[in-house]
Amino acid sequence: MPKSQFVDPGKVFVPGYAEFESIPLCRYNKTLAEEKKIYSKDDFMRIYHDMRTIREFETMLNEIKVKSEYNGVKYNNPGPAHLSIGQEASAVGQAYCLDINDYTFGSHRSHGEILAKGLSSINKLDEKELYEIMKEFLGGATLAVVEKNNHTGNIKDLAKDFLLYGALAEIFARTTGFNKGLGGSMHAFFIPFGILPNNAIVGGAAPIALGAALFKRSNHKKGIVVANSGDGALGRGPVLESLNFASMDQITKLWGMDGKYSNEGMPILFNVFNNFYGMGGQTMGETMGFTFPARLAAGFNLDQMHSEKVNGYDPLAVIDATTRKKELLLSGKGPAFLEVATYRISGHSPSDSSTYRTQEEIEAWKEANPIVAYRKKMVEGGVATEEEFDAIDESIVERVTKIIKLAIDDEVSPRMDLSKNPDMISSIMYSNNHVKSMDPDREPEVLIPKEEDPRVKQIAGKSRYAFDEKGAAIPKMKLYNIRDGLFEAIIDKFYEDPTTIAYGEDNRDWGGAFAVYRGLTEALPYHRFFNAPISESAIVGSAVGYAIAGGRAIVELMYADFIGCAGDEIFNQLSKWQAMSAGILKMPVVLRVSVGSKYGAQHSQDWTALCSHIPGLKVCFPATPYDAKGLMNSALNGTDPVIFFESQRIYDKGEEFHKEGVPEGYYEIPIGEPDVKREGKDVTILSIGAVLYRALEAADKLQSEYGISAEVIDARSMVPFNYEKVIESVKKTGKIVIVGDAVDRGSIMRDMASNITEMCFDYLDAPPAVFGSRNWITPAFELEKYYFPQADGIIDVISEKLMPIPGHVTKYNETEIEHIERAKKGV
Amino acid sequence: MANVVIMPRQGQSVESCIITAWQKKKGDHVNEKDILFSYETDKSAFDEPSQFTGTMLEILWNEGDVVPCLEPVCIIGEEGEDISALLPKKNADAAPETASEEVKETPKAEAVATVSESDGNRVFISPRAKRLALESAVDMTKVVPTGPHGRIIERDINKALDEGFVATQEKVEKFLKGIVEAEETALPKEEKAAETVQAPAAAADVHAYTEEPMSNVRKVIAKAMHSSLSEMAQLTLNSSFNASALLAYRAKLKSSGEALGLGKITINDMVLFAVSRILPKYPEINANLIDNTFRKYKYANVGMAVDTDRGLLVPVIFGADKLTLSEISAKAKELAGKAREGKCSPDEMSGGSFTVSNLGSMGVESFTPVINPPQTAILGVCCTTNRLDAEGKVYPAMGLSLTFDHRAVDGAPAAKFLKELCGALENFDLLLAK
Repeated sequence: MPKSQFVDPGKVFVPGYAEFESIPLCRYNKTLAEEKKIYSKDDFMRIYHDMRTIREFETMLNEIKVKSEYNGVKYNNPGPAHLSIGQEASAVGQAYCLDINDYTFGSHRSHGEILAKGLSSINKLDEKELYEIMKEFLGGATLAVVEKNNHTGNIKDLAKDFLLYGALAEIFARTTGFNKGLGGSMHAFFIPFGILPNNAIVGGAAPIALGAALFKRSNHKKGIVVANSGDGALGRGPVLESLNFASMDQITKLWGMDGKYSNEGMPILFNVFNNFYGMGGQTMGETMGFTFPARLAAGFNLDQMHSEKVNGYDPLAVIDATTRKKELLLSGKGPAFLEVATYRISGHSPSDSSTYRTQEEIEAWKEANPIVAYRKKMVEGGVATEEEFDAIDESIVERVTKIIKLAIDDEVSPRMDLSKNPDMISSIMYSNNHVKSMDPDREPEVLIPKEEDPRVKQIAGKSRYAFDEKGAAIPKMKLYNIRDGLFEAIIDKFYEDPTTIAYGEDNRDWGGAFAVYRGLTEALPYHRFFNAPISESAIVGSAVGYAIAGGRAIVELMYADFIGCAGDEIFNQLSKWQAMSAGILKMPVVLRVSVGSKYGAQHSQDWTALCSHIPGLKVCFPATPYDAKGLMNSALNGTDPVIFFESQRIYDKGEEFHKEGVPEGYYEIPIGEPDVKREGKDVTILSIGAVLYRALEAADKLQSEYGISAEVIDARSMVPFNYEKVIESVKKTGKIVIVGDAVDRGSIMRDMASNITEMCFDYLDAPPAVFGSRNWITPAFELEKYYFPQADGIIDVISEKLMPIPGHVTKYNETEIEHIERAKKGV
Repeated sequence: MANVVIMPRQGQSVESCIITAWQKKKGDHVNEKDILFSYETDKSAFDEPSQFTGTMLEILWNEGDVVPCLEPVCIIGEEGEDISALLPKKNADAAPETASEEVKETPKAEAVATVSESDGNRVFISPRAKRLALESAVDMTKVVPTGPHGRIIERDINKALDEGFVATQEKVEKFLKGIVEAEETALPKEEKAAETVQAPAAAADVHAYTEEPMSNVRKVIAKAMHSSLSEMAQLTLNSSFNASALLAYRAKLKSSGEALGLGKITINDMVLFAVSRILPKYPEINANLIDNTFRKYKYANVGMAVDTDRGLLVPVIFGADKLTLSEISAKAKELAGKAREGKCSPDEMSGGSFTVSNLGSMGVESFTPVINPPQTAILGVCCTTNRLDAEGKVYPAMGLSLTFDHRAVDGAPAAKFLKELCGALENFDLLLAK
């Protein structure tokens, strides 16, 4: 909502027609004689070699799956194998035009793309570089295996062994594989060759690729990004969100800031390998209405995303089209879209009985075999003889046979030994690094010195502690609050790490829906701080890609309730890539989510439990300005994904605990350390998030009305979580109630209660009690006291479940009978 | 050269497929790509096209057969070709089932010691209050529970302590186990329990009875004894020996052994000692029989039946054959004490190779001890009776009853064991000298 763009009622209603350009369909028509001017014989032969290598590799995997034997080598592979037999020309044609600065992302059917991109990079790298890459990767473990078994003395030949072996060892879950076997068939990648992660979630790679392109765009990096997917992925919301996100007008219209910065488009090519089936559903004619995927893309921007369709059974046609798209992207005219029509002869997986297509159709496509057709064209065109092609075939079969023998040999290609090293996977779930700047060599791009920022100036006049010397409360307007704590940590990082980027809905101009970002618009150029479309999947998914490509991202979901809109991106992508890459990737992403109040059932939920449940995420929920700034500093200096919960109830809370006030300088509060907010001796209250203040109110009442001294601990983080302080407190008091605004059933509070019971059973005077919200929808604000835990309710629970308080009259029904009844009804 | 067609594996989780229909019969001509047969996995149906041209020489499975993946299904070749080498060798692979040599984990005696008290006398107390009670030796009879569900919580103990009610730790332990001491209650425990179910006004009701659920210890004993008698071929041999030497030795220990700390050695300890010395010579008796496998123990792990408030418990003296008489005596005392206090661990009550049960002190002259499974024998020790010897002299005869499992041991060796044991006890001094 930039003020510079006027929404004029005088123009909005002008009649007319929206014009579309024609979308080219398979317009490639060059003759071999023309192509001979572009390609040498070596080039032509290399194209054949690469296609044939993919075919053999995939055939080998198919034989292993179906017959447990390939060329006399016996093996049993229980893992997945989504093969792309028939699609070789499409993959090789694309990779031919790309160099190592160009990134490809793919799908669960990407073995062919990995090999094609790898072989293309091997061809382009000089021998010294190539050897360095191989030697450095995993400390040379992968290279050592192939080097011992390749005596040609030819580095390029060795690199081909390395590529095939690294991929196959990964598919077979060996530690010498590209990701030590933790990624497997559907997630293999090798960044030094520009092969970025492939994804087992259909369409999962699109927002991630978008994020990598955003990284290149915002950090002025070389190369383009190719988001490969199948036609089936076009039914997925995250893909459509990414097409739109990449096409948004601001990139070319606003990000240039009147010539100060680049106004180039997003350097991304959405490349759809249209094989006509999403598993078994036929996209053209059954599950979609677009007829050609190329038509779908044309609506996203005025350039129609330069959309076209190309014959994916002719590698030269694919090269021709991809080369043109790449030129467009490099000249700042991105994004682009290419439909590469192809066909998967193999089943979706080896258990596919092809019930959805006829044998005639498969036969017809086998007949159209792109490799055979290409070879015939080359022989007839006098490029090479049948014998020369036969020799290539022979060498490939020999290589693939050699590689599979190495990859299945438990001695040279062992699996992770989790008996001997039980912590191997534990040790890579988080990277736990401390990195101030992801690119210390570059100066951050900012619009003004930090001291001149209006928000920084405003904060300077605020009291950093909630009370004056006499103990009187400072008025709200003069009080440094949680918003300010978050802002300070974030703006500091923007002035320290040039890769830091922040976006989300209504971040720029508005300053974030809850004013945390007020003051950032003045300080930062668009390409570091902008408004995202209402596309939660693309927001979180692109942050994942941004981090994978080497940057640090702060992204925001306006309400925690929208976590569901970005479910896959949070639960499968953000959380898992560090471990699936065996620790090769880092994920410095802070996802800010705000827990609402007053706005009813879909805008008031505390979903800490959902995030805590997923391995690989760090989760925190501060409730004071001191903790908010300290935890945000920790999150921003780390290299792990942090889900940063904030509460709209308490954004304006001042610092009531840290007597020295919130420091102006830098400090960190480690994620995972709870904090005793008030000491006591009779009962412990462990609070999660904003409920801290209700817990303190309960503690006050317990003391003044019943003489009971309550200790209040603020969890601050949920994952990781150090139980030591809590155990210490329980040993002292013997009683604990855990409170939070999340619904009781399945909450992290329940998890904590169970752990505390196990960890200090002998010290407990009663089973730990849990007091969360009711298992209902969140009602209107006026009824919230019946839903969210209140101070009186906390006292009721203590009296009912921990230690009956003489003289206390309960307001809420927290009896055991009531709880049994509620459970019976599921409420 | 004939070709074998195998059942393809359609997906990793598929282990076998059903042949639903044969499209070719034996002797049919087959072209490449002709459908040979149709088959199904649990997920899908498939047709198997031939990869060969020739004649169907053999069909190895019928329609409806479940064929393991990768197994030969049929053979295609040239008519008249010898395919005997390709036919699967039926039965050749079926190796005779051999007994597993693997040493199995010792089955634990059914955790007798971990059984808690019956609910009737259960004391509800928080773990924290329990700790405090034991540490402070509070007088539990003065503690008033105020926690949820009438649970004793920390503050209740503190209140009693503040009021000066202190007892002994032992009493706290007993209280927590639900044992209310006689001097503190007017009625013995059983009657007190009965009170709770009797109609208050029906004191003279001749039909009055109480119903108590079987305690867990009782359940374990019942199960073990019943399976012992129903699964084994048990029989008992009765014999006796001249206990003069034994009693004389015992008298000597009592009079002059006191100073050496040997005064507490009992007749039963001496029997245990003799048993431990003889047992290793009879590997079938010093053994367990589990699922047709003998577990023959290297050492004599002698179980001793102990009567406790909660029922019969059998702690084990491990490696008794390596212990001296006084060591056996000390161990037996320790274990009996622990058993009575309910402190024996499951480990102390499992792994026995033989058991000795003594009812002699109750005046039992002869009985049929029941074997403690999976052991193969048990010795009952009876009382002494006066008998006349061949010369008409009176001598004290002590009875021994050996029950053995005839599945494991025959009558003759069992009798021989008993005879040797009697001999050893009759010449106890000589046995000691060995």
